[in-house]
Amino acid sequence: MFKSPLSSVEEKLNANFGEFAGWEMPMSYTSYMDEHMAVRSEAAFFDISHMGRLRIKGSIEELNKLIAKDLKSSQAGFMIGPTAFLNDKGGFIDDVMVYKISDNDWLIVTNAINREKDMKWITSNSSLEVQDLTFDYVMIAIQGRRVWDYLKQKPDLKPLQFVLNTSFLGEEVFLLSRSGWTGEDGLEVWAKPEIGERIVTKLVNLGLKPAGLICRDSIRQEMGFVLYGEDIDEKINPIEARYWVFSLNKDFIGKEAIIEALKNGVNKIRVGFKFTKGDRTLPRSSMPVMILDKPIGYITSSTFSPYLNRVIAMGYIETKYAYFGYSVEVNVRGKKVEGKIQDFPFIK
Amino acid sequence: MSDDKIVVDGKYIVLKDRYYTDTDEWVKIDGEMATVGITDYAQKKLRDIVGVELPEVGREVKMGDPVAVVESVKAAADIYSPVSGTITEVNEDLSSSPELINKDPYGKGWIFKVKISNPEEKDKLLNADKYVEKIKEKEAK
Repeated sequence: MFKSPLSSVEEKLNANFGEFAGWEMPMSYTSYMDEHMAVRSEAAFFDISHMGRLRIKGSIEELNKLIAKDLKSSQAGFMIGPTAFLNDKGGFIDDVMVYKISDNDWLIVTNAINREKDMKWITSNSSLEVQDLTFDYVMIAIQGRRVWDYLKQKPDLKPLQFVLNTSFLGEEVFLLSRSGWTGEDGLEVWAKPEIGERIVTKLVNLGLKPAGLICRDSIRQEMGFVLYGEDIDEKINPIEARYWVFSLNKDFIGKEAIIEALKNGVNKIRVGFKFTKGDRTLPRSSMPVMILDKPIGYITSSTFSPYLNRVIAMGYIETKYAYFGYSVEVNVRGKKVEGKIQDFPFIK
Repeated sequence: MSDDKIVVDGKYIVLKDRYYTDTDEWVKIDGEMATVGITDYAQKKLRDIVGVELPEVGREVKMGDPVAVVESVKAAADIYSPVSGTITEVNEDLSSSPELINKDPYGKGWIFKVKISNPEEKDKLLNADKYVEKIKEKEAK
């Protein structure tokens, strides 16, 4: 199992560690609910050093064939995404963020669980050069509704813009981007581990709350963001997932399957479910979703949203039942939990 | 370290003033009344607790019966009654603040109280030292 290079400083912050995608990472510090509320109303930071980070060199033509979105219309110094590597059936090999350094130099952030698979897939489908930076740099996401107040500065970056080899909080960092995965404003930083430790200490001193991966999971669910391995995988295509990660104005692996799915429609589709306020029974992944006792789909993720004070979930249902507002039930240990089909995001 | 508690592996607290079960409940016996909750080890393993299904007051329970459910973001766990008897009280605060189990598992995070019908069952429970051994066994797996 891999361990975050920041774990010694996180231990001092009383992190509870747990396993995620082959990494031992902070799951929570105080409670995920406090951390969640800090992101939604104040500011917090996450250690996301488990995320796979690849540097890709070679022709844009080749990379553009592998990536579902069009890289040609992208600008250097900006991120493209979320987008995806798809298989020839249109299923997700991975969903990724792509960073354009120049026409022949790119960074790709992968899901931790897919890092090695992606590297193999890229090299077996192209002559692109792949360098794994995952273990060279830590990655920290700094997010929150009041993030600039806490940082006492707002960097000169547009959303999804990034800079390399810059200074952040007086430290030399490899990459600084205005991005995140929370629905709030903020930054993501890649830095050498020893510099990352100093940044963590500085963030704590500025009053930002350390947050763990449980909070990251509840936050992303409120936004309706998918998690690879839970909500999408190689058998799910972007139409079913309602995940608009492709451009049809260019060729890419999986495009024909996507066109088929668009023309013919899909049998199942990803929707959100919100359950009764105050009810704290969690439908779990793979539990059937029913309308009047008839199974119409299944749950893929769920959590209790402390912000909404209710259980929220997502999953797939037969497309013909996909009407927002429809009442559904999930049978949880013999107890019928009632909810409603809802579009994403759960919060505004 | 104070005399009234044991810290296992530097993180799991076990109090000496009560009994324990293999399934990680604690039970504090005061005359014929037993107060039940889950241990610090259990709450740390479950992590963030988001909900608790409480038993009905007045329900007759046997030792080992599943009587409550603790929901965490990770999993739902059955809570078994460590003793036989009648449920006399449940911790209603947990309905709105289930995280009390994480914050104070041996105090404000208590789950239910039982009026004991068979005092001899106490012999089947684990004392603090035995429960410490149990945690070490579980952790070694």
